[in-house]
Amino acid sequence: MAAENIPLRVENLVKRYRLDDGGELEAVAGISFAVAPGECFGLLGPNGAGKSTTISCLTGFYPATSGRVLIEGRDVHLEPKAARRELGVCSQEETLDSDFNAFDQLVRHATFFRVPVEEGEKRAADLLERFQLADKSNVEIEALSGGMRRRLQVARALISRPKVLVLDEPTTGLDPEVRRMLWAVLADYRSTGAAILLSTHYMEEAQRICDRVAIMARGKILDVDSPANLIAKHIGVAEVSEELRPGVTWRRPPNLEDVYLKLTGSKLEAGHADP
Amino acid sequence: MLIPDSLWGVRCVWLRYFDVFRKGLRYYLVTTFTEPILTLLSFGLGVGSLIGGVHTQGHQVSYRDFVFSGIIGQTILTQGFFEAAYGGFIRMYYQRIFQAMAQTPITLSEVLWGELLWDATKSCVAAEVVALIGVVLGSFPAISLLTLLPLAFLSSLLFAGFGLAVAASSKNIEEINYPQYLIVFPMFLFCGVFYPLESLPRFLQYVAWVLPLTSVNSLTRTLTLGFPFEWWSLPILAAWLLALVLGSRRLMTRRLVK
Repeated sequence: MAAENIPLRVENLVKRYRLDDGGELEAVAGISFAVAPGECFGLLGPNGAGKSTTISCLTGFYPATSGRVLIEGRDVHLEPKAARRELGVCSQEETLDSDFNAFDQLVRHATFFRVPVEEGEKRAADLLERFQLADKSNVEIEALSGGMRRRLQVARALISRPKVLVLDEPTTGLDPEVRRMLWAVLADYRSTGAAILLSTHYMEEAQRICDRVAIMARGKILDVDSPANLIAKHIGVAEVSEELRPGVTWRRPPNLEDVYLKLTGSKLEAGHADP
Repeated sequence: MLIPDSLWGVRCVWLRYFDVFRKGLRYYLVTTFTEPILTLLSFGLGVGSLIGGVHTQGHQVSYRDFVFSGIIGQTILTQGFFEAAYGGFIRMYYQRIFQAMAQTPITLSEVLWGELLWDATKSCVAAEVVALIGVVLGSFPAISLLTLLPLAFLSSLLFAGFGLAVAASSKNIEEINYPQYLIVFPMFLFCGVFYPLESLPRFLQYVAWVLPLTSVNSLTRTLTLGFPFEWWSLPILAAWLLALVLGSRRLMTRRLVK
């Protein structure tokens, strides 16, 4: 595929922070990846792996120390407005505007992308319906439950119909039923040709909805491939045994969590999964 | 009409604040105008009836007129500072709407301009309402509502810059109390709102002139009461305006962007 047709391209991205003690932390250490139209690309990694910093750099909010991020072929730091017009972001933190109700929130956000108010209202009504929030349309943000707010924040990221959708742990705190509903919405959305970048802690989620997954640790991508290929490459057996509690083990097919634990260290080394 | 991209972004942010203001109109009218109007009534009519006249800078005016004019400056100070300091901190730290807006085609620079311009607008309107009361009660000529407008807006922007700088530098909302008690409150008391500066010892007059509210009060009295123009007020205000507006934007950007 020609480079200009790739919705999201990250090239040798490096991000260093200056610490309060005068030292420097390299949060992202030269990562590269590209997300194709209609692809869902997952970022997996422990806390402090550099996932959220990567996302802040690719939304253009943090300047990269070196390297570049291209959205629809436009450098997010050199042409931030043009690049972000094609970008929808759902941050890990709640950033809903609590001065507006659910409906007005979406319509106002649409105007930031120069979507006319009438069109914004149509899209907002449609999104509230799809996210099962239609009856909360006129409800103020404070009166919504945590799960409803999370859904609303994902809906807000979709209001501009972006070609690149970035979701930083969108399903944290959602119950399984709502999580599945969200997966269905994302599946629909990617079928329109949009590229999705998903950062998640849920291995099952990554395995289920991501075409490819990058496993990150200490600012680097340790490996990137489809979940099936990662499992075959790093686990390579048909079954693994896992100790559920002392004296009770079960044998099961390997999954992405086994790969994650093997590549990032921690529990696997302690013998919780034994390929 | 096609608005240039940057102005359009600032306009979007300003309109966001205006819509919030419109939604909570009753609340904002009470919180914006109660304090200056009560101060006006208390000092202008209450204390003013005890004092009678004030002789300063070769002018004899009633205390009521003198203090009405000072309360315009005080309104600019408190409205500009508090909206930007507390409101700005809440929007940056608790609501995180600066961050949310700056991930859209609106840049953080435009978000901060929108914030400052809104804070200045709100403060300027409050000052004009105080001036209007002065005009209705016969303290100032009607034309002063117009001549005062640029001064009120730019001074409001100055104190909004101060407030936003405080918001950007405060680790938590309680820390805003430090500049409030150590800088805003002394300005309120020593910069000529309630009495002529000549009443203070000489060294305190010099200190007062360094603070921007003294220049705001001096220019306000020139425009509303015809007091002599103290030219040095202009460079003092211009220096503060530049330092605080540019400084606040820099501090807030450093706070948000790593």
